[in-house]
Amino acid sequence: MATRDNTSLVDLFVARATEAAAKVERIGRAASEVRAAVARATEGLSSLVVADGDYLQSDIFSSLRTIPQVIPKPTDDQLATADAGITEAFAGVARSGSICVAMGPPLRSAASLLMPLHVALLPVERIVLRPRELFEQTGIGAEAMQRNIIFVTGPSATADMGPLVRGVHGPHRLHILVLE
Amino acid sequence: MAAPPAPAEAYDAPRAVANKRDKSALLRAIRMALGIESDAIRRNTQTFNRNRYREAAALPDYEALKDEARAIKERAIGHLPDLLMTLETAIRARGGNFYLASTAADACRYILGVCQSHGAKLVVKGKSITSEEIRLNHTLEGAGIEVAESDLAEFILQVADEQPSHNVAPAMHYSTERISALFKRKFSTSEPLDTGEELTKFARGRLRQKFLKADVGFTGANLVAADTGTVMLVESEGNIRMSSLLPPVHISLAGVEKVIPAQSQMGVFLELLPLSFNGKLTSYISFLRPPLDDPPFALTGRPRKKREFHLVLIDNGRMKLRQDPVLQESLYCIRCSACMNCCANFQTVGGHAFGGETYCGGIGGAWEAGTGTLENARFSDLCTGCSRCVNNCPVRIDIPWLNEVLRDRLNRSSAGSPLASLLGIVSFVRGDDRRASAQKVFFANYHWYAKWGARTRAFANGVIRYGPARRLMESLVGVDVRREIPPFPAHPLVRAARNLPPLARAGKRAKVVLFPDVYTNYGLPQRGIATIKVLRALGVDVVVSDAIPEGRAALSQGMIATAKKHARHTADALLPYLDQGRDIIVIEPSALAMFRRDYRHLLADAARFDLLRTRTFDPVEYIARLSAKSGRPARDLFDLARSPVGSRLFVHSHCQQKTLGCAQPTEALLREIGFDVATSSVECCGMAGSFGYKKEYYEMSMAVGEDLFGQVRAAEAPDAGGARALVASGTSCTEQFHAGLGRPVLHPIELLAAILKL
Repeated sequence: MATRDNTSLVDLFVARATEAAAKVERIGRAASEVRAAVARATEGLSSLVVADGDYLQSDIFSSLRTIPQVIPKPTDDQLATADAGITEAFAGVARSGSICVAMGPPLRSAASLLMPLHVALLPVERIVLRPRELFEQTGIGAEAMQRNIIFVTGPSATADMGPLVRGVHGPHRLHILVLE
Repeated sequence: MAAPPAPAEAYDAPRAVANKRDKSALLRAIRMALGIESDAIRRNTQTFNRNRYREAAALPDYEALKDEARAIKERAIGHLPDLLMTLETAIRARGGNFYLASTAADACRYILGVCQSHGAKLVVKGKSITSEEIRLNHTLEGAGIEVAESDLAEFILQVADEQPSHNVAPAMHYSTERISALFKRKFSTSEPLDTGEELTKFARGRLRQKFLKADVGFTGANLVAADTGTVMLVESEGNIRMSSLLPPVHISLAGVEKVIPAQSQMGVFLELLPLSFNGKLTSYISFLRPPLDDPPFALTGRPRKKREFHLVLIDNGRMKLRQDPVLQESLYCIRCSACMNCCANFQTVGGHAFGGETYCGGIGGAWEAGTGTLENARFSDLCTGCSRCVNNCPVRIDIPWLNEVLRDRLNRSSAGSPLASLLGIVSFVRGDDRRASAQKVFFANYHWYAKWGARTRAFANGVIRYGPARRLMESLVGVDVRREIPPFPAHPLVRAARNLPPLARAGKRAKVVLFPDVYTNYGLPQRGIATIKVLRALGVDVVVSDAIPEGRAALSQGMIATAKKHARHTADALLPYLDQGRDIIVIEPSALAMFRRDYRHLLADAARFDLLRTRTFDPVEYIARLSAKSGRPARDLFDLARSPVGSRLFVHSHCQQKTLGCAQPTEALLREIGFDVATSSVECCGMAGSFGYKKEYYEMSMAVGEDLFGQVRAAEAPDAGGARALVASGTSCTEQFHAGLGRPVLHPIELLAAILKL
């Protein structure tokens, strides 16, 4: 149900997230299509971690686990050295180009933080216009109030050493797949 | 020929001049900052500043958000004791620990106790300026616990043993070259340490190991919600996420003022706080209700422990600050750093000079006084009261007023001197205000010297150009000999105005009273004459009031009792004109700002303040309104072809004009007439009233001015079309232009008077 407004919201999200140095792709949500997109995004990497989702259909995640590089049940030592983490995004914020990651399910926090690449799956209907909507008492805000959430805007970055450097302690690259 | 730059060893170490109880430390810190830190500070603060302006302008409800944030903070500080109880219940209900520490030592003892109870050997730490306030690292390291600062800026400071120079980007005084030299000196490694990428990679590699092995993760907190115990953590590097996620124990430290009533209110600050720093959301902003459900991280061979969370809130003077009728406002601060980034003085010297042992910038004085002693706030003398921070503060703190009050208290707590008493008595300074330094007493009463200077013009103009007399003035009252004092005019404005022909035409028309502020009256009366000429040509009935001090000079020296007296007398003198239906015109912007802003604090009667505030205008602002009201376009009133200086202008608006919103109408009117207008983007010229005249601040004032002079040079480059006439409304700005560029300066009203069509 891509209304005219919804389309411009998604366009704004894509533009802002791209400005924030995330890579953004819009794809369909058939499990096979998502799997192919993730495989492309992680091509050449040797170890991947997949965290379960809350909102997307579970066959997407079971299909992702069939990518050969995915570590089925990673130990903490493997989490510390894996190349990429794949998680669902709780929400997207168009005006700031942010995604929100809700903590809780196993591996979600680690997979969105410890690896050099974070691939986030964002259901298109969960994009809102502005950050504060996540704090409203209704709609997506009411859900967010119950969770530990992190607003993620682009990859980790610092200017402490002089020039802007992307990739500090957190992921060096953020790849957002908007699922339509 | 310029002297070669001094080597770094020629300057004091930042730590050695962090405490500025003694003013000589402030002066040494300024010298150090101008010598080795200024370039990096200017580059960084001005980048933050530009980014904030750009994004704030794009946010349609920016002003409404600020009102909302202010209201939340007022309520939070007003109900703080209740909120702390609610918060404690919320934290404990989730299985967390809550500790309210009364002093810095108390907080350190508690945190050390938690670390020791876990046999901690390594604490990994996210950036927390509050932990600098309580010297936490000192306590932990003293007990044999390794502290790994994981924010890269704090990592640099830990390696260099320096205090923060900014509360969001604490090592922004370091250039890549200086970090490279520091790391090469301190670390023996084969890794390359030259570029920003290489330095980041090196620090990341070292710190990754610390995250994985830390026993305790320590973070600050940007806000805490009382109803749910939610902690807001703002960062860009990911180190705070790691510190709060990976180790089994998480300790979060914050001042009690960080508590707000409800989690639902955090959305306002999510939008305002990062915006007010650098324009955009930082990479990671976490809203956590610890202890987290995720199991703590445990590499092979390390025990898998249960999660534990401690929220440590500290008072350390804040509850007392809450009772302070003026400084209470500082507790609304959300530490976004906007007041630092938009401050011309801060942009030039940063927080090592414009700051104390922990807190810096315009808001830093109140914080150092509140968490330490009044004398620690002495560095707030670097606040010139230019007011640029006022509109940029997301919680609308009147920072210049806080600093004027701090200055007043410092004046009153000092011993005074016979010279200051003498100067004070002859110039009718109020009793306790005479305890200020002779320099402050002198500058606070400039009107008195100006009046006598004008009366004894031939003699006085000789004195201010006579070297030995100026050297004596410098040694007695600290007026720098390198500064020219503008000569006293043959006829002050009030006298000169009597000789002007009155308006011939009668009838119903706009009526004003021109207030001859001391700077215009005794310094630049031609600006007043031009104002009268233009207004009368536009059919306005103009009279001139008596010349009395409006109080700006006294206020800027922190002599509030005297400033209040001046404000009262000025209101008494002008209110009858308002009763006659006259609006008030004030030419000098810093005097205008008294009527529009500062009298809020100085006049006991709010209704009188409101009358003055709403009916006082800058002359060009008033003309723009007249033109709009009458429907006569500016081109019908003024003729560009008559301009004595051509059509190309460089317009520098006064800092107070920008805050009051009179800069834009002036620039717009000049453009409408057809001028090609280049404008300065500096926040302040660096003269800022008496600041640049003071012997101890001369170099700093000129360094601030260099930014403005550079913009003029850029706007006049051959490929930018060449020379432009300088236009400025402020008396100080005019003097600063004379000093830096040695060129004539016109007030826009003088230009308008020259091109009148009528």
